Amino acid sequence: MENSVLSMHNVVKRFGEFTAVDEISFSIPKGSIYGFLGPNGAGKTTTIRMILEIIKPTSGEISVLGHASALDVRNRIGYLPEEKGLYKKMKVWAIIQYFARLKGMDKKAAKDQAWLLLEKYGLKDFAESKVEALSKGMSQKVQVLSAVAHEPELVILDEPFTGLDPVNQTVLEELITGMAENGQTVIFSTHVMQHAERLCDRILLIAKGRKIFDGTVAEAKATIPRRVTIETADDIKDLHAIAGVNEIVQLAADPSADSTVAQWQLQISEQVNPQDILRTCFDRGINLNRFEFTEPSLHDVFVHLVGDDAREHEFR
Amino acid sequence: MMKMIRLIAWREYMENVQTKGFWLTVMIFPVIFIAMFFLTTALNNATPTRYYLLIDQSGQYEQAVATAIAREHQRRIMQEFVGYLLENRKDTNLELMAANARSTTDQFIDDVDADQFAALDAFLNDGGLDFALTMARPYLKDNAPPFEQPKQQFIEATLPSQVDVNGSPQEIIAALRPYLTGDREISAGDESGSLFALILIPADVDQDISRPGAIPQTPDTTKGIQYWARNLTDSRLPDAIGNSINNVIREREYVSLGVNTQLVRNVQRTRMPLNQLDPTAEAGEEAVSMADTLRQFAPMGFVYLMFISLMQSVQYLLANTIEEKSNRIIEVLLASVTPHELMMGKLLGIGMAGLTTIGAWLLSFYLFITLYDNNQTELISQILEVILGSELIPWFVFYYFAGYALYSGIFLAIGSLCDTLKEAQGLMMPMILIQIVPIASMFFVVLDPNNTIVRAMSWFPLFTPYIMMNRAAADPPMIDVIGTTITLLLSILLVLWLSGKVFKLGVLRTGQPPKMLELLRMLRSKI
Ligand SMILES: Nc1ncnc2c1ncn2[C@@H]1O[C@H](COP(=O)(O)OP(=O)(O)O)[C@@H](O)[C@H]1O
Ligand SMILES: [Mg+2]
Repeated sequence: MENSVLSMHNVVKRFGEFTAVDEISFSIPKGSIYGFLGPNGAGKTTTIRMILEIIKPTSGEISVLGHASALDVRNRIGYLPEEKGLYKKMKVWAIIQYFARLKGMDKKAAKDQAWLLLEKYGLKDFAESKVEALSKGMSQKVQVLSAVAHEPELVILDEPFTGLDPVNQTVLEELITGMAENGQTVIFSTHVMQHAERLCDRILLIAKGRKIFDGTVAEAKATIPRRVTIETADDIKDLHAIAGVNEIVQLAADPSADSTVAQWQLQISEQVNPQDILRTCFDRGINLNRFEFTEPSLHDVFVHLVGDDAREHEFR
Repeated sequence: MMKMIRLIAWREYMENVQTKGFWLTVMIFPVIFIAMFFLTTALNNATPTRYYLLIDQSGQYEQAVATAIAREHQRRIMQEFVGYLLENRKDTNLELMAANARSTTDQFIDDVDADQFAALDAFLNDGGLDFALTMARPYLKDNAPPFEQPKQQFIEATLPSQVDVNGSPQEIIAALRPYLTGDREISAGDESGSLFALILIPADVDQDISRPGAIPQTPDTTKGIQYWARNLTDSRLPDAIGNSINNVIREREYVSLGVNTQLVRNVQRTRMPLNQLDPTAEAGEEAVSMADTLRQFAPMGFVYLMFISLMQSVQYLLANTIEEKSNRIIEVLLASVTPHELMMGKLLGIGMAGLTTIGAWLLSFYLFITLYDNNQTELISQILEVILGSELIPWFVFYYFAGYALYSGIFLAIGSLCDTLKEAQGLMMPMILIQIVPIASMFFVVLDPNNTIVRAMSWFPLFTPYIMMNRAAADPPMIDVIGTTITLLLSILLVLWLSGKVFKLGVLRTGQPPKMLELLRMLRSKI
């Protein structure tokens, strides 16, 4: 791809006999927010470490910012590892400055940037405190800031939302969208689909080291059938006639509910407008207790694509 | 690249220097040193007055005992006077020796050093302290304080009235036992204190004189002079009394045998000087001076300094590496710098912290001897001058850095393999034990620096910095110097290369430290 920031081609990583990453290929366009999704142990962290060349792939090719080795462009990359930690004895501003300087910023600029970020993200009062005095969530925020302080072209965040409260999760989401608007490319991994759904332009789904899907969120959702659920006491055979309704199944009745009322699930094709079904019911005099059309969530997509494997992993 | 190493080094340095432990180590040595200094001075001056009782039933030896005690006092005066001279003479020169002594004071100091008893005779013969003071005056500094005589240490107590001087020894001892054990105090003039010693000379003591050729008799503690004292370590008094009484009876024997005692005394005072010479010194400088002796023992100080400082440094190295590992900061670092840069930065930063410690020690030492002037410190500063002026310093600098590179490389690898300090302790232990060997043999090495075992030990790279430093003052053979240096440098390169590998693989792994087999695999793997 022309403006690809990162691409992997048939990358494999084995630890002894165990294959943690199995023939993964994908490519990330510049300026996008890209999500690595998958259950625990899927191989997300391993993939990220290979991108950063902290570990080397067993086989396959990786190209980062147009270079074969991330080490050549490491100052243009920002990285937040999965396991969070900072030097406990250092002052908050100094630690952001230190990591920014390790990425080639000069002393003064790094210090100014540290203070700017701390002020922007409400941590100014803690700037002179030592890291050990911060709460876990706060120190994680500081670590995110220290990963992006040098305004890298490519930001890689491994499970950045884990351990943050909902308020700070929102703050982090804003930080990520802000960076994308700024033209920076953001990759983050998560096993929580909601964040990915809200943020990502594109996603990579992996399970057990294998790529399941790679593409836009809309494309992902298109991979599973759309469904309408209705609840009625009337006969619904007329609905079969609607073009695009592929299948109707009766759902198991709720024992406590009125036994005369039944629940049905209609599988509809992509081009069908759910409004048409509603109109047909109205025209044929089918009295609806309930009519529900929900867009599939990424979670549904995942369960659909990964099947039993996903349930086996049990999202945590 | 250099920039990153500097940055990492500086952070490591600052973090170490800001810990309490660092300053504790920095402070502890000067504090201990100064405390010991004052303690020994205080102990010297604090020896209390000791009261003794002499009961001479034979009536023959009272004079001899008094002489012995007076002589002992004179000996102390003489010794303290030598100390006073060393501190206060005008041009102090530790390089002086008997052969090139330029003044009578130097001669005097050397005589005392060589044979205290002969020197004491001469001292008393010449007129004692008064003469010595007159003799020394021209050589003393203008601002020298007057010499303070030590107090009389042994003072005769008054016999308690209930004791019968003519009673049997058993009765006398029974009556005086409470005083000797400290249960009762004895008076002496207007003072009182515990009775330090009782010297009891029975009436028939002369029957117990033993002569060569006599039939050996079973030892009998009731025979001869009885010296009763609780303190068994201070042997000055019994020695002096024994010598003195023996002189008296020997003199009597001479007279009874018709020998001229004056001749005998003269013969006894004849002596042959013995000069210690150093075959490696240049012609004309073979004589061994005090400075030479100092220089010979100085390496021990350096070896010790090196050991303490290295142990401190590697401890930090280990702790810091483990912190980074358990925090997983290491991953961020490795995404920013190469393992090589990280390792070098750490080694450099912590090495600087070690040098700071040594610097702080030397500085506090220097401040102490300059600020606390005009005392024994003068002598210490002269000693220091000799050491600093010797060729030992470059040796120390070289072996310090070499030892640091070698050991820190090993400890860094250990740190990178462990998740907790506790795990690391197990792996550290053998490394510390290895260093105990050269430290424990320090004294032995100084005494016999070029002996075969010592030479062989020098070739073991982990010992080389310590043992070669230890031998530094003894001009080790060229082959040893060059050979061990080459093996040492090669081992440093090897250790740093291997530990770089282990470090790179180790820092990312978690869980138990690897088994030997896994470690070997790590070392063989190519990264
Ligand atoms: N250094 C390693 N040695 C052996 N196995 C590893 C190592 N790192 C990861 N793995 C294994 O690889 C798999 C993928 O791990 P990881 O990439 O951390 O998953 P994720 O980040 O998606 O939760 C896991 O089964 C893990 O146990
Ligand atoms: Mg992970």
